[in-house]
Amino acid sequence: MNEIIIGIDLGTTNSEVAVVEQGKVTVIADGDKNILPSYVGIDDNGDIIVGETARNQYLAYPERTIKSIKRLMGENTQVNLADQKYTPQEISAIILKRLKAIAETYLGQPVSKAVITVPAYFSDAQRQATREAGEIAGLDVVRMINEPTAAALAYDAGEQEKKHVLVYDLGGGTFDVSVVNIEAGVVEVLSSHGDNHLGGDDFDQQIIEYLLKHLQETYGVDARKHSKAMARITRAAENAKFLLSEQPYAQIEEEYLLENDGTPIHLSIELSRMVYEEMIEDYINVTMDAVHIAMKGAKLAMSDIDEIVLVGGSTRTPCIRERLSNEFGFEPHSEVDADLCVAMGAAIQAAMINGQEVDTVLVDVTPYTYGTAAIGTLDGESYPFMFVPIIHKNSVLPNRKVEAFATSHDGQMAVDVTIYQGEDPDALNNVKIGEFRVEGLQDVERGNIVTLALELDLNGILHVSAEEKATGLEKSITIENALSNFEGSTLDTAKQRISSLFGQLDSSLYGQDESLVIEHEQPAAPEIEAAQATIKKAESLFETISSEDKEDMVDLIEMISANIEAKDIAGLDKPVAELNDIIYYLES
Amino acid sequence: MKTPYQMLGVASNATDAEIKQAYLQKVKDNPPDRDQKQFQLMHDAYLKIKDEKSRLNYDLFTLPVANFDEVVDKALSSGKKPTLTAVQFKALLAASVDESTITQAITMAEK
Repeated sequence: MNEIIIGIDLGTTNSEVAVVEQGKVTVIADGDKNILPSYVGIDDNGDIIVGETARNQYLAYPERTIKSIKRLMGENTQVNLADQKYTPQEISAIILKRLKAIAETYLGQPVSKAVITVPAYFSDAQRQATREAGEIAGLDVVRMINEPTAAALAYDAGEQEKKHVLVYDLGGGTFDVSVVNIEAGVVEVLSSHGDNHLGGDDFDQQIIEYLLKHLQETYGVDARKHSKAMARITRAAENAKFLLSEQPYAQIEEEYLLENDGTPIHLSIELSRMVYEEMIEDYINVTMDAVHIAMKGAKLAMSDIDEIVLVGGSTRTPCIRERLSNEFGFEPHSEVDADLCVAMGAAIQAAMINGQEVDTVLVDVTPYTYGTAAIGTLDGESYPFMFVPIIHKNSVLPNRKVEAFATSHDGQMAVDVTIYQGEDPDALNNVKIGEFRVEGLQDVERGNIVTLALELDLNGILHVSAEEKATGLEKSITIENALSNFEGSTLDTAKQRISSLFGQLDSSLYGQDESLVIEHEQPAAPEIEAAQATIKKAESLFETISSEDKEDMVDLIEMISANIEAKDIAGLDKPVAELNDIIYYLES
Repeated sequence: MKTPYQMLGVASNATDAEIKQAYLQKVKDNPPDRDQKQFQLMHDAYLKIKDEKSRLNYDLFTLPVANFDEVVDKALSSGKKPTLTAVQFKALLAASVDESTITQAITMAEK
């Protein structure tokens, strides 16, 4: 049998891991809980803690606890955790490593492959960052699938009857809506839309602002300066939000919240559901607009929707159910578990990739339009940055589109290609996601044809290539990964860094993971160290050398890395010597 | 080269629903996660003939399969009169047969 592939829902607030065994999906429990809070912290002993314990220490030690890291994924930033800087990928990797260990303990065997879910509206950079987090955690991310789609997969469970389903997925930090056609055992996504920075965290923030204002007005204190008080206010706001899903009023009591000139300040205030719903109304409006955009994208009328599936903890907010049933004329479904269905869908897809028999096949779409800029017209006038869409939103994945362009003046030997994501006819109003230059074109009259191919893979990651038609001269890129923006911080060093953090852990907690950690900590053989140094040197030359030399070097580096991975010391000799020769030749 | 009808295994007079069913069955047999190429071929075939409009477009502009008498008969017997605006007619005339040359040669910006 093939190696087991696990399904992971890496959420803003909570994460889960699931597997399919004998055709049945199980969300794996750690102890008695199958939900792992997405919190990472450093405890009193300097050890790393993940999940419930990290969540619990957040009140006492906010400065050494991280929450909601998913909101920063894909951004070129770092967070402070006990005076150490970490990228969002590294923090996410710590959560993934924990989930991996939970799965390994349950399965009694090592796990190295995973399907990870991402919000449908995650951008290219956010998807790349998620894949990197997997790599740092020692997981081969065989596929990333969209969260609402995963939920639809779990919901469907092999139904044959044709129906249109609207999936409304409001999590801790992201919002997605997808319109799905379920028919003949195929889950076919017709359209997706969303907002990758909208979720329950924003609702909390509204309550926090309300409480801060109350403290300011009643006691004249600014609680923002006190990190411990802020942590308590944050937790109180969260709890009030949960209470208001069940009851019309919530009493917020935080005694001895802070001291003001020696007088203790107690926070005591009642929040009504009505006031709360007014606070979050704008956010709900944004989600409803997105619902309409998705419906339009699917070319369906409200009355064509047969069922609504709610996903994500934030959909427990009563006014969301109300708004949806007002719009569609019936109540959303509640028999699917809003917290667990995404992980279950990921596990089903993992089983499918692994060749196991599954009832449902998935066909997904991209929520974004991708294209380039060219000289054209905008509002009737000549404009150099007219957006030329190449892959349109709601196109099926995978997708490959080729567009032909021509050089604009005689003797033009190079073209700059910029790739944008967005819908605006002015390319400069869209999100620039990558650029490259095709050089060495023929010295001919203008009109030299250059074709540009855009390819979206099943993970929603974009690959771009350009080719001079007459000569076949080609240049291709995958949109740069986010980690490479950090000087000196490569995936490998990140991987070692996170592994060594785990090395300090109580080994009983981690079962099988322990042996893997020890392996990482063993000093590398001198041959391996030398090989790695050679690779570093080779990579430092990439900027300045011809693409032909670079290609040769990349091939050799790949061979060497594979041998290092396999601990094949003898196999290192030849490629390392060859690589050294090229470096010597280039430097002399 | 197989026609989209042959690829999906449907008759040339199949209904929208029959074509959709055949496509979904092919997807089930060739999930995108297992065989991307095959899936893309099936999806492209489906897009070419999924509804009346795309079928007419396919019949008209895919040579040498098109039998113009048949296509015209089909268009006339479909009940709806084919209404072409001047703009659409012009677009039809401007289009070439080979799809790769239809792509507008839009001049690229050089900095």
